Amino acid sequence: MPSHLTLLSPLRPPCSTRTWLSAPHPTLPLLATASSDRTVRVYSLTSFTLLSTISGGHKRSIRTCAWKPGTKGESVLATGSFDASAGIWRKWERGSSGLVRDPDDIDGGGDYDGGEDEEDEYNFSVLLDGHDSEIKSVAWSSGGQYLATCSRDKTVWIWEELEDDNFETIAVLNEHEGDVKFVCWHPSEDLLASSSYDDTVRLYKEDLDDWTAVACLSGHEGTVWCVDFEGDKPRVGLKDGKELSEEQKKFIEERERSGPRLASSSDDMTIRIWRRRTREGQNGTSSHDRIPSILKSNSIEEDWYEEAQLPKTHDRAIYAVSWSKKSGLIVSTGSDGKILVYQERWKSPKETTESHSPGAESMDVDKLSISTATEWVIIAEVEGAHDVFEVNHVNWARRYDRGRRNDEEEVIITTGDDGEVKVWTLDHD
Amino acid sequence: MDPDKDNANPTIINPSDLPSRRGISEVKKRDDGGTGLFDHLVPAYSYLNDPFDQPLSSSDSEDETVEAIDEQEIYDLIATISDPEHPLSLGSLAVVNLPDIHIQPPTSSRSNISTVLVEITPTITHCSLATVIGLGVRVRLEQALPPRFRVDVRIKKGTHSTDEAVNKQLGDKERVAAALENGTLMGVLRRMLATCK
Repeated sequence: MPSHLTLLSPLRPPCSTRTWLSAPHPTLPLLATASSDRTVRVYSLTSFTLLSTISGGHKRSIRTCAWKPGTKGESVLATGSFDASAGIWRKWERGSSGLVRDPDDIDGGGDYDGGEDEEDEYNFSVLLDGHDSEIKSVAWSSGGQYLATCSRDKTVWIWEELEDDNFETIAVLNEHEGDVKFVCWHPSEDLLASSSYDDTVRLYKEDLDDWTAVACLSGHEGTVWCVDFEGDKPRVGLKDGKELSEEQKKFIEERERSGPRLASSSDDMTIRIWRRRTREGQNGTSSHDRIPSILKSNSIEEDWYEEAQLPKTHDRAIYAVSWSKKSGLIVSTGSDGKILVYQERWKSPKETTESHSPGAESMDVDKLSISTATEWVIIAEVEGAHDVFEVNHVNWARRYDRGRRNDEEEVIITTGDDGEVKVWTLDHD
Repeated sequence: MDPDKDNANPTIINPSDLPSRRGISEVKKRDDGGTGLFDHLVPAYSYLNDPFDQPLSSSDSEDETVEAIDEQEIYDLIATISDPEHPLSLGSLAVVNLPDIHIQPPTSSRSNISTVLVEITPTITHCSLATVIGLGVRVRLEQALPPRFRVDVRIKKGTHSTDEAVNKQLGDKERVAAALENGTLMGVLRRMLATCK
């Protein structure tokens, strides 16, 4: 393998029961871990130690949590629990504008660890009630304006914070036919994706004040556990700067028109990459445009198709997939306890003519030339990442500790059934 | 629970006909007041290494000594679970059967993870309690087996009208975790598993 994963550090102390998911703070070196012991632990990503334990708000397992982006002077965390409620927690960030501080100024997170005064505590500020059963996932839109929650009750709710602590339900989306497992927002548009026990992924947008389903992505043959969008800037390969051929430039332009793609991971042991068909492409495919303009214009519906499948290496359900917004690499984990890192790279011209790439059979004929210009390869793998335990979640986070090699460096964070949260570095040989 | 049982008149297997590694007399001894299942959890099994004493369904006999846990032991862990509507064990109702228990050794030399697949046979094809029985089997095995075992519980193909739906529920980790936080359901499961202790 061209790269390898190295355990940088576990977070200490671990939880004694199952941990479900960890969310890195958007600007501070903090990580929040949702646990089945009804708490959220906030760890330092500089010292890898526990800073705060948030408890008392939920009656059952906390399944998920998410930091609100774009806050000033305070941190805002949303939690989702099996008790069917979501919680909003706030903490003032002492002497900071909420902007990123130089990691070197944060001396091992030492100025956090007392919890002496109330300002150091996370205060429970709002309870969001409404779902009929367990909440599985919560997610803030990129601008922080909307919070999406989803539940076993088959619905996705969108909440809007009108003013401080006043949340209004602006949409209840009933498209799915089974538990909604995960919600994720587009990195720049107000486009929401949800994945479900009904084996589909659905996308939603606001249309004249009403949130409405705009696409249904079907193809998976099992529960879709997790979805994640690509970053705004498409990347192929590990490093920029290499001279691109005309064809490759055209390919990148075409991809920029489609916008960020979506990765989905499933119980069927596959990870699929979905791509939006551009409007121009839609019209261009038929030389004789017979569709009356009234039917196609102004339609908010989007056409997404399966572009590729990542190499199949997982032996059991894939619980999480995370697409690095910085490097374009994808990482996945699941019941088999493996961590896999995938990279999209240009195919050499010779390879392009062959069609042995995984997922080739499901590829759209119109897009064949474009789809086969690149391929996904596994560049790093760890087996038994959490000893013999299942790993429930993986994601990328900015690296903050003293060993950081550059501003862009990221670490991989895994969260497991053993209550451990582990931080891994990816090294390219 | 529904007062009308799904199957009021199930077939019951004579205890002496149930699969066991031990002699009938020993089974009787346990019935007379032994702690039963606890005996099986004592790890010092000399007979596990006995090449002449392999369970019927074992195909990869080389791996059995490494595994140290075999199908018969899995059977013993779950056969004593009580049926939620009859005062009988899942073994005697033939809901769990030794040939329907399969242990898969680790798929690679770097992995320690083994898989246990248990296919259960509901007493009748529309048994509404199939999910609860399956959940009981899964919970029992997850509690009794070391964490290196992944437990898959399925309805045996063709023995239940909604087997696909039940299988999907039983395979969903998140649903199982949430179910175990449900007091009512846990009460039912505790009663089912009480006969295991």
